[in-house]
Amino acid sequence: MATSEGKRAAVANGAALASFLGAGIGAFAMGVMVILDEAGLFSAPALYPPAGGVSGRTTFAAVIWLIGWAVLHRRWKGRQVESRRAHAVTLILIGLGVLLTFPPVWKLL
Amino acid sequence: MGLAAALFSVRAMGTANSSDVVQSQSRYLAGLMVCVAVVLWLTVLVGTYVTFPPYRATPPEGLADLSQYPRSLIQSSPGTVWLHAFAMEIKEHVPWIAAMLATAVAFVGVRYRSTLLADSQLRGMATTVLAICFVLVSFVAILGVFINKVAPLE
Repeated sequence: MATSEGKRAAVANGAALASFLGAGIGAFAMGVMVILDEAGLFSAPALYPPAGGVSGRTTFAAVIWLIGWAVLHRRWKGRQVESRRAHAVTLILIGLGVLLTFPPVWKLL
Repeated sequence: MGLAAALFSVRAMGTANSSDVVQSQSRYLAGLMVCVAVVLWLTVLVGTYVTFPPYRATPPEGLADLSQYPRSLIQSSPGTVWLHAFAMEIKEHVPWIAAMLATAVAFVGVRYRSTLLADSQLRGMATTVLAICFVLVSFVAILGVFINKVAPLE
């Protein structure tokens, strides 16, 4: 029984979806950090002054990615999660994140 | 190249039955994905913290030869301003997204091994994320070539 549960937990898709969705959250966080900076609403501090604000923006986005991934992993590991919706949300977040880092989008502000 | 190999491998090694997956193949694929993610992170961190500071260095007032100051050199000509305003701005952020995506796929490759190749939904998502990662990295690399052509960092 324990072996069966262990095997099921090992192949349950929860951890994989948490990983993909976590990356989507990270991509979206990157886009939001960039657009907030360009709109003058929030500028992440330069954590490494020679690199300027990009060091703060990217570090903040990376931290959000890791926290999001950790939270999702904790909730979903060992569980079978409905994958279609998670896939769709992941792709939307990645798409928005990439879009928001594109300078032509900033000019629409 | 590593990304292309991983993308091809996920597609080519895919099978409908977990028992058909050769264990050494899934181990090789997981190793390849981890290597890709590690190389991407190294590239991103070196690019942000080692290569970028000299690029954005401000030249002394009145300096005529801007060859040692790539950003100022690019911005000094109307024909190359876009290389900073568009290309470099994208190069600052998009590689980080690519590294996050590669890490997610590498994690799934290591944790799921043969299941990744046998589960069509998991394999499909991994393929999609890898493909997005490949497109982003290729695009950024091309922009990097343009910038380096006009203002090489020496």
